[in-house]
Amino acid sequence: MTAGDLFLQQAINGLSLGAMYSLLALGFTLVYGIMELINFSHFNVFMVGAMIAMLTLQAFGLHGQETILTGLPLIGVLLVAFIVAMTVCGFIGVAIERFLLRPLRSVKGPAAMITTIGVSYILFNVVLLTIGTDSKNFPNPLPPITWEIGGAVLRLREILIWVIALVLMGGLTYFVTYTKLGKAMRATAQDPEAARMMGVEVDQVVMSAFFLGSALAGASGMIFGLYYNLAKVDIGFASGLRAFTAAVLGGIGNVPGAMLGGVLIGLIESASGQLVGTAWSDVVIFGILVLVLVFRPAGLLGRLAPNKS
Amino acid sequence: MNTTTAAHPSATLTHKQRSMLLTILAFIFFAVLPKIWTDDGDLDSLANAMSYATLALGLNIVVGFAGLLDLGYAAFFAIGAYYYGIFTSFQVMPVWSDAWAPLAYVGLVEKLNQGGPDLVHFTLSFWLALPTGGVIAAFFGMLFGFPVLRLRGDYLAIVTLGFGEIVQICARNMESLTNGAAGLNGVQGPKLFGYRFGVHSEPYYYVGLLLVAFLVFVSFRLRGSRIGRAWMAIREDETAASAMGISLVNYKLLAFAMGAAFAGMTGVFFVAKLQTATPEMFNSAVSSMLLVMVVLGGMGSVWGVVVGAVLLQLMQTWFLPQSSEWLHSIGKLTGIGFLQTVDMVQWTQLIFGVILVLMMLFRRQGLIPAVRKVAPLTMQQQTASVVRGGFVGLDKIGRWAPGKGDALVIKDVVVKFGGLVALNKVSLTVPDGGVVAVIGPNGSGKSTLFNVITGLVEADSGSISFNGVELLGLAPHKVLEAGVARTFQNIRLFPNLNVLENILIGEHARLKTGPFGAVIRPPSVVREENSAVQWAKDIAAMFSNRLTPRLDQTVSGLSYANRRRVEIARALASRPKILLLDEPTAGMNPAESLELAEQIKSLHDLGLTILLIEHKLDVVTRLADNVIVLDHGDKIAEGLPDDVRKDEEVLRAYLGRSGGH
Amino acid sequence: MAETPLLEFKGINTYYGDLHVLKDVDYTIGKGEIISLLGGNACGKSTTMKTIMGVVRAARGTVTYEGQEINGLATSERVRRGIAPVLEARRLFPRMTVYENLEMGAYTQPRGAQFEEDIERVYSLFPRVKERRNQLSGTLSGGEQQMVAIGRALMARPKLICMDEPSMGLSPLFVELVFDTIQTINRQGVSIFMVEQNANMALSIAHRGYVLQSGVVVLSGTAQELRENEMIKQAYLGEMEIEPT
Repeated sequence: MTAGDLFLQQAINGLSLGAMYSLLALGFTLVYGIMELINFSHFNVFMVGAMIAMLTLQAFGLHGQETILTGLPLIGVLLVAFIVAMTVCGFIGVAIERFLLRPLRSVKGPAAMITTIGVSYILFNVVLLTIGTDSKNFPNPLPPITWEIGGAVLRLREILIWVIALVLMGGLTYFVTYTKLGKAMRATAQDPEAARMMGVEVDQVVMSAFFLGSALAGASGMIFGLYYNLAKVDIGFASGLRAFTAAVLGGIGNVPGAMLGGVLIGLIESASGQLVGTAWSDVVIFGILVLVLVFRPAGLLGRLAPNKS
Repeated sequence: MNTTTAAHPSATLTHKQRSMLLTILAFIFFAVLPKIWTDDGDLDSLANAMSYATLALGLNIVVGFAGLLDLGYAAFFAIGAYYYGIFTSFQVMPVWSDAWAPLAYVGLVEKLNQGGPDLVHFTLSFWLALPTGGVIAAFFGMLFGFPVLRLRGDYLAIVTLGFGEIVQICARNMESLTNGAAGLNGVQGPKLFGYRFGVHSEPYYYVGLLLVAFLVFVSFRLRGSRIGRAWMAIREDETAASAMGISLVNYKLLAFAMGAAFAGMTGVFFVAKLQTATPEMFNSAVSSMLLVMVVLGGMGSVWGVVVGAVLLQLMQTWFLPQSSEWLHSIGKLTGIGFLQTVDMVQWTQLIFGVILVLMMLFRRQGLIPAVRKVAPLTMQQQTASVVRGGFVGLDKIGRWAPGKGDALVIKDVVVKFGGLVALNKVSLTVPDGGVVAVIGPNGSGKSTLFNVITGLVEADSGSISFNGVELLGLAPHKVLEAGVARTFQNIRLFPNLNVLENILIGEHARLKTGPFGAVIRPPSVVREENSAVQWAKDIAAMFSNRLTPRLDQTVSGLSYANRRRVEIARALASRPKILLLDEPTAGMNPAESLELAEQIKSLHDLGLTILLIEHKLDVVTRLADNVIVLDHGDKIAEGLPDDVRKDEEVLRAYLGRSGGH
Repeated sequence: MAETPLLEFKGINTYYGDLHVLKDVDYTIGKGEIISLLGGNACGKSTTMKTIMGVVRAARGTVTYEGQEINGLATSERVRRGIAPVLEARRLFPRMTVYENLEMGAYTQPRGAQFEEDIERVYSLFPRVKERRNQLSGTLSGGEQQMVAIGRALMARPKLICMDEPSMGLSPLFVELVFDTIQTINRQGVSIFMVEQNANMALSIAHRGYVLQSGVVVLSGTAQELRENEMIKQAYLGEMEIEPT
């Protein structure tokens, strides 16, 4: 491979990782934009999403990478797996909000954040106790179609990941831009009190943010499985920290920012994996988080913080 | 100490005695325990419990005292551990040269030959490593803390989480230093006067117990000192803390360093006991367990976190294995297969998560809350009649030395927020010993004026000099040190601290006790603390019996008017050269307003310079020599109170233009 | 007034923590009236607004709207029933367009023909708003923002608009325009409850007024009566009631 091919290959990989991080970052950003809360449970909602997607695919009789589907069955199976993973995660998010965080909404200090940390452990260990700690073979029914672009390889898997991420991000953008509830979410993020006085019900908005964010985490989890062909109980932490970095890099609270940040972090990860070794890419990404927070806390696209008067 | 405790209500005294007694009994119990209970495994897990307790005590300084949520605390534990591990094991062995000879002479290294060239084998003494491990971890605490301390609390949480991860990644990947995932081997155990600790648990148990005792002692000493008060002030309200003279950066760094030092020492102890160090010993599960210990016991509560640590350790080493066996028996009896095989130890982390969630939902203050409930006041103590004629007991306060000319000179100060001009070339002077009042309609820039003077808001241009010192550009705590103390329009006390502590925090800049003095408490510190408490009581006593009977009440439980009084007392405690009062009588009824107006007047009579924002014009008339009127950031009038009230421009500002309809 | 008033406060007491803000306050707002609430700084005017909107709950007393007690009613339901706010300092959603801000005003109303009709009404009242409809509202001038804020309130099909300091921070020209508009809206049958520092201006268009001082109504009457009362000046410039007890 020439340097150019290597670069192209890393860009392709980085875009896939970026798609995954973008979807995950959106959940951080939606919740933070509305509640100013770092939702640590999001890390493991993502992991649960990967597990649910895996179980769904296995329920179709798919195990490992041997069974290859094509045409409608392929599309149908993938679609069902995405929908199941997203719905289950969405409802997990809603349950966390409704039963554990709503009682704490008026409590000052770190109580809500500590609760999300606790929820994160609970999710982690429930999966650990039921599914186990070992790395699971994530079913991948995609036919091994590849295209060669110079020396770089583009697989069908990449195309699929990009399409799904684009559809979901497009859908979310449509939702927050054009629907009534989406507008209410933006309004609440910008000025909660004024939004309330327009008749917006804050409970409904917060719950929607949790549902959407968690559902996207579910999709992101499935993408993780398809990309790495594995699912493991401890995948939430590293991916979550990267996605959070992505949200901060783009400007936390900012929906397009989270998407941009995710893609950038994906590209940076794959470049740094090439340049300094995968063992250190966490350190690189984390260094970026610290640098952004210290020198440009508003992120690249600015922050949609509520107006504090 | 007697002089201060004697004046306390008797309840406090017995409480102190009781807790002292309990402490001594607890340590005697734990000291004789190994003689009664000789099971080596149990003692070993107790020794582990002790190291978790010391870690929890350190985390409690960062999270509980200073309110900085640190999720990567295990990093400092690892630093202490690897420090000791590397310098006592056979991992790093440079080639011997004579330059090492002096170190060999003092016993830090020895010459080693494994067939090949002579090598250096580090033989750091445990007893030397313990304090130096603390110092090294503290250094890393400051190193990590420095770039991120200005971040909001929730960002700090995630950044520390990342730091914790990075240290572990380093431990795993810097194989030449740490031997990577396999871990360090051959770490030497401690020796004491030739006695080798070896593999028996008892000596480690005693070292652990002493370490806990020492750190509990340090925690209490810090908590009850100027240092601890500064941390708690930061935790409660950063803005108010800096306005009362506390350097946020210094004290947050100190908290990080101190917490890290506890962890570093524990790391040394832990590795000496295990005689190995692997990256897994310091993973995020350890940080999370420590957080659970602190949350369970009670954030900020010294005994709380010790109890939390011991409880969780008991749960992990005794209750869960035991309950698994019970469940197995039940399973056999009932024939339920699941119960026969369940291993409750695997549920540990799950239980941690449940504990965190349940504590946050139902008992946020922890099992042993840091803030004690104080008995309510008797009816007699509560009765306070309006005091006329100003403050009482002013002889203890003394006069302010008169200065020359103008104390505060503000020139052409401009403050812009985005496009909005909040202050537009405002100039005013407050003569030494004078009282100047600032009035104006809502949004006219009055509070911004106070904020720019006290360094909370930056000015775009202009100058503010106080007794010749330029205040613009100074951090808020430096402004206080220059002699400018303030109150806030919407009262910013330290809500979970009591009245005495709030007033003592006002004295922060006048006191000198540092962290070492606070722990060692030499006579000079005892004297300083006693006189600080006495001064705070004298200040409180100025308000007749409004505050004195409430000194150990938490301020969040006080009435609105009393909270205002505490805030004024806190500002006065710094013995300012100028007092800035932002609507001191807001929310007070007419009688209370009059009382306070006369009290302020009596301060003025003592020579204190005062700048005042006030809406009640008769208060202004009573007090002020000069009135400044602001409107939309412009100074529109200045003069004697009676003249200003008749000024057409002022009437227009307040009432609006005449309607044109 | 023989008919039931549109909104009524009876013996309202409101607290922030233990700070007693409104003390036994009574107001009546009749259908079609412009009521002006006057008072100096920190006297409880904004708390009155928040109590009407249901953002702050009264500890004691009753708020009645169209003859029904609404003490426990959620803010959204109050808006749905026709109480719309114009908030202090406009409080538009800065990163939403003017059109989206107007949509937010109609949040409790059905979309469709009614919405189109309402938005046309706002556009005809403020042609400027129509011109700026696709601009982010944070980029508008203060006066334009106030028009959007009033338009946003109108989108809720209100029977009662509560305005908090509509003239604050506006140039004299805009103040005049705003007050003209308030009268126009009022003539179309909407009652107006207006908290205003600009007493002279407010009383020039109001039917009746209340003067609030430290949370107590110290004066009430027709606009004419209030305009002629010297006490107003005192109420604004500061209390003079402190006497030794």
